[in-house]
Amino acid sequence: MKRLHLVGLLAVAALVAACGSSGGGAPSYSGKTIKLGAILSLTGAGGVYGPSSSEGMKLAVKQINGSGGVNGATIDLAVEDDQSDKNISSQKAQTFIQQNQVLALLGPTLSNSALTVHPLAETLKTPILAVSTTGIHIVPDCKFPETTPCAYVFRDSLGEETAIPTNIKAYADEAHPKTGVLLVAQDDKFSKDGGTIVQANTDKNGIQLLKTIPFNKGDADLTPYVTQAVQLKPDVIFITSLGQIPAQIMTAARKQGWQGQFLGGNGFNTAAVSKQAAANGKGARSGSAWYLGNTFPSNADFVSAYKAEYSKDPDQFAAQGYTAIKILADSARRANLTFGASAIAGDRDKLRTAMESVNLPSTPLGPFQFTSTHDVKQTVWIIQMDGVGGFTLVKEVKAS
Amino acid sequence: MDQQIVNAIFIGSIYALFAVGYTLVFGVLDILNLAHSAVFMLGAAVTYTLVVSYGQSFWVACVGGILVSALMGLVIEHVCLRPLRRRQAPPISALISTIGLALVILAAVEQGKAGSFFAWLWKDGANAVAFPPSTIPNPTWHVGDLTLEASKVAIIPIAIALMLLLGYVIRYTQVGRGLRAVAENPRAARLMGVDVDRIISLTLVISSALGGLAGILFGVALGGISPYMGRDQVEVRGLAIIVLGGMGSVAGAVVGGYLLALIELLALISLGSSARGGVAFAALFLVLILRPQGLFGTRLRERI
Amino acid sequence: MDFFISLFSDPVGFYASHTLLIGQIGINGIVATSMFLVLYSGQLSLAAPGFMAIGAYVSVLMGLHWHTPGALNMLVAALLAGVVGFLVGLPVLRLRGVFLAIATIGFIEALRLGVILNLPITGEGLGLSNPKADPLGGVNFILPSFIVIVFVIWRLTKGRLGNAWAAIRQDELAALSQGIHVARYKMIAFVISALMAGYAGALEAHLTFNVDPGEGNFGVTRAVQILTFAVLGGSGFVLGPVVGALIITLLPYIFDAAGPYINIVSGIFLIAVIIFRPQGIVGRGGLAIIRPSWWPRRARVSAPTPG
Repeated sequence: MKRLHLVGLLAVAALVAACGSSGGGAPSYSGKTIKLGAILSLTGAGGVYGPSSSEGMKLAVKQINGSGGVNGATIDLAVEDDQSDKNISSQKAQTFIQQNQVLALLGPTLSNSALTVHPLAETLKTPILAVSTTGIHIVPDCKFPETTPCAYVFRDSLGEETAIPTNIKAYADEAHPKTGVLLVAQDDKFSKDGGTIVQANTDKNGIQLLKTIPFNKGDADLTPYVTQAVQLKPDVIFITSLGQIPAQIMTAARKQGWQGQFLGGNGFNTAAVSKQAAANGKGARSGSAWYLGNTFPSNADFVSAYKAEYSKDPDQFAAQGYTAIKILADSARRANLTFGASAIAGDRDKLRTAMESVNLPSTPLGPFQFTSTHDVKQTVWIIQMDGVGGFTLVKEVKAS
Repeated sequence: MDQQIVNAIFIGSIYALFAVGYTLVFGVLDILNLAHSAVFMLGAAVTYTLVVSYGQSFWVACVGGILVSALMGLVIEHVCLRPLRRRQAPPISALISTIGLALVILAAVEQGKAGSFFAWLWKDGANAVAFPPSTIPNPTWHVGDLTLEASKVAIIPIAIALMLLLGYVIRYTQVGRGLRAVAENPRAARLMGVDVDRIISLTLVISSALGGLAGILFGVALGGISPYMGRDQVEVRGLAIIVLGGMGSVAGAVVGGYLLALIELLALISLGSSARGGVAFAALFLVLILRPQGLFGTRLRERI
Repeated sequence: MDFFISLFSDPVGFYASHTLLIGQIGINGIVATSMFLVLYSGQLSLAAPGFMAIGAYVSVLMGLHWHTPGALNMLVAALLAGVVGFLVGLPVLRLRGVFLAIATIGFIEALRLGVILNLPITGEGLGLSNPKADPLGGVNFILPSFIVIVFVIWRLTKGRLGNAWAAIRQDELAALSQGIHVARYKMIAFVISALMAGYAGALEAHLTFNVDPGEGNFGVTRAVQILTFAVLGGSGFVLGPVVGALIITLLPYIFDAAGPYINIVSGIFLIAVIIFRPQGIVGRGGLAIIRPSWWPRRARVSAPTPG
C-alpha cells in the first residue's frame, strides 16, 4: 500500500514537474487565439505617447507568439487610434468589448479618456490594463466619487501618487530645501492631479509652499507666471504639466536668473522634454517608473530587442506597454480559459482573478506585482535631466 | 511688474503681426481664413526643420520658412478659395475649406516622425521643441531688474517696420490701390480693369508670409514649436484681436494685438492666472456688444 | 471595413454593441439640428458648445447632489440652457454675420475658461464624474428624442415661424419692412436652439462617465465641428446638418484604413466635398463639378442658386 502511494506521489510529482517547466499545469490552449484590444492615442496630442506603447506591446506579442504562444495560443493584438478624443476612445472600447469580443483591453493613453473608458470596461465586466495613465482616481476608484473599487481596472503605469512624493522626499532628504513654488496647468486632469499631490507632500518634507500658480495649457506666454514664481525666490520650483510646458518654464526661469531646483512628475520623463529644455533643464528631477539604464537584466534584454526591432531606444511608455502584454499573457496562462463564443464572460472573469495574483520576477520594470488596489508595486527611479536630451540616474528607491 | 509689461509688449508684437495677416484677408475678401494659424505653425516648423535637420543657418532657414508660408498663401487661394468663388458658393463654405486645409497641414506635421512619410517636413511628431540655443543669435541683457532677450526685443522693430511697409504699399502704390479697390467692391474693381484674382492671390501671399514670420518669431522668442502652436496660441486670440481693432483695419490689428496682450496681463495681475483666459474672451464679448466695429473699423460688414 | 459588414449582416447585434457610437450620432444630430435652426434664421451662432456645457454640468450636478431622477435633471438642464440662451441673446442678436459668430465664441470660451474652470463645484480642470451614466441603455432614450426633435423643427420650418425665419435669412431689412418682428423671431430661434443644445449636452453626460471641460468638448474646436456638420450637410433643409453630423461622426470609421493619416484624409475629404458641393451634401442646387478648360463640355442645365 505504502509503495503504491509512493509511486502515485512520484507520478504526480513528475507530472507537476513536467507541467511546471512549461509553466503551470494549465491545459493546452493550442490552436486558440487570445484576443486583446489596445486603445491608444496615435494621433492628436496624446500621439506623443501612444506609438511608444504600441511598439512595446507589439514587440512583446511578437516574442511570445514566436516562442510557443501562451500555452500554445497565439495572441492577436488589435490596436486602435482614439485620436486623443474621449468619445472615440469609449466608442472603440465598446466595439472591442462587444463586437470583437476581446478578452481584455489595454489603454487608453490619456487620463482624460480613461475617466470615460475605465468605468465603461467595468460596467461591461472586461479587464482593462492601463499602460500610461498616472493620475489619481484611476485605480481603484475609477467611478470616483463613488468609492466602490473597480474590480476590472488595473494599471502598470506607476502613479504620480507614488512617484512625486518619492521624488520630493529624496531631494528633501538630500538638500533640505526650505521653500517652494508650484506651477500647475489647471485645465488638465494629469497636471491638476500632480499639483494636488505636490501640495500634499511639501509640508511633511519641511518645504514651505509659498504659492501655487495655476495657468492654462493654452496660454501663449508662460513668462508672467514664471516671473511671479521667480520673484518669490524659492529653493524649489515644482512643475506639474505635460508637453512642452515644463521645458518652457525651465527655460524662462533660468533666463530670469533663477538657480534653484526643478522638481516634477511624469511630465519630465520623456527624451523630447529633456531635449527641448536642453541646458536649462539640467539637473531637473523626477520620479520615473523606468529608466533606460536600469539594472534589471530583463531590462537589458528588452532594450536590445527593442533596438533591434525599431532602431531606436525604448522609452517608459514602451516598457510599460511591453510589460502589460507580459502581465496579460501570464494571467491568461494561469486562468484556465475555456475559449468558445459563449465563454467570453466567464473567461474575462477568470482572467481578472488571475491578474490579481500576477507575480512576474523579470520585466523591464523589474519584479512586478499588483497591490491590493490593482496599482503598481515597483522600484521608483529618481532621474535628472542631463542637459543634452537625456537623463542620468540619481537614485533607486525600492518599493516598500 | 515691469518685467510683466515688457513681456506683454513682446507678445503683443507677435499677436499684432499675426493679426495683420488675418485682417488683411478679411478686409479684401470678407472671409476669415482659418488656415492662417496653420501657416503660422508651418512657418515655425519649416524654419526649425531647415535649421536642425538640414543644417542651414538661421537666416537662410528664416527665408525658407517665409517662402514656404507665402507659397501656402497661394495654395489656400487656389485650393480653398478660387474654386468656390468660381461657383458663386456661399461665403461660409470658404470657412469650411480653410478649416479642412488647416486640418491637413496640422496632421501632416503631427505625423512627421523619423521614418514616416513626412519626415522631410518635421521629425518631432506631436512634441514641442525649441531652437537649439547655439543656432540663433540671442544675447540676453539685464537692465535694472529687467531681463531683455535680443530675440524678443528684435520683434518690435521688425513688426513695426513691416506694418509701416504694408501701410505704405496699401496707401501709395498701384498694387495697394488695387487691394483697396477689391476690398471696397470686387465687381466694380473688375470693371475698372483690376485683375481681381491676382490681387486676391497677392493678398493671401502677403498675409501668409506675415503669419509665417509671426510663427518664426514666436518660436524664437518663446519656444514651444509644435503642430498645435497655431491652434493653441493664436487662432482664437487672432479673432479677438481683429474684433478689438476693427475687422479689415491693419492699424486696428496692430493696436489690437498690443491691447489684448495688455488686457491679458491686467487680468493676470488682478484676477490671478486662472481667470486670465476667460477674461480675454469676456473683453471680446463686451467689445462686440458695445462697439462692434472695434477701434478702427468704419462700417459693419455682414457676411453669411 | 468589417465595421460596415457587421452593420448590414447583423443589425441588431450591431446596434447592441455600438450603443455609444449610435448614441453619439443621435446627440450630434440634435446639436446639428440646433445649428440648423440658427442658420435657417440667418444667424451664424457658434454658441452650441456653451449650452451643451450648461446642460451637461447642471444635469450631472443635480443627480450628484440632489439625487433627482435623470429625466428631470435633463429637462431642467435644458431649460436652464434656454434661459441662458435668452440672456446671452439679448445683447448679442443685434450683431450679424461673422461678428455674431465671434461674439458667441467669446461667450463659450469665457464660460469655459472663466467660469467652469474656476468653480470648485464643477470639479474645475478634472471635470465631473457621472457614476450614473448609462452607456448601454442611453441610446434607447436618445434616438426617440432625436427623431421627435427633428420632426418638430421640420414642422416649425413649414409654418409661420419658418416663413418668418426664411424671410429674415434672405434679407433682414426687407423682412423688417414687411412687418416681421425680426428681433423676436431671431430670439425665438436662438432660444430653441439653446434648449436643444443644452438637452444634447445633458444626454452626452448621461452616456459617458465623465464631463470634461476641455477645448475639444465645450470649446472652439467643438463649435467648429458643429459648424462643419451644418455646412457639410447643407443648411437649407433640416436633414442637412443631420447628414453632416452622421458623416463626420463616422469619419474615424470610414477612413480607418488611413491609420495615422486619418486626419489628413479627413481634411482632404472636407475640402473636396465643400468644393464639389458648396451648398452642402443635402443642399439644393445642381452638382457643380469643376472641369478643367480642356474638358469636353456637354450641354447641361444647372442653375446654382445662391443661398
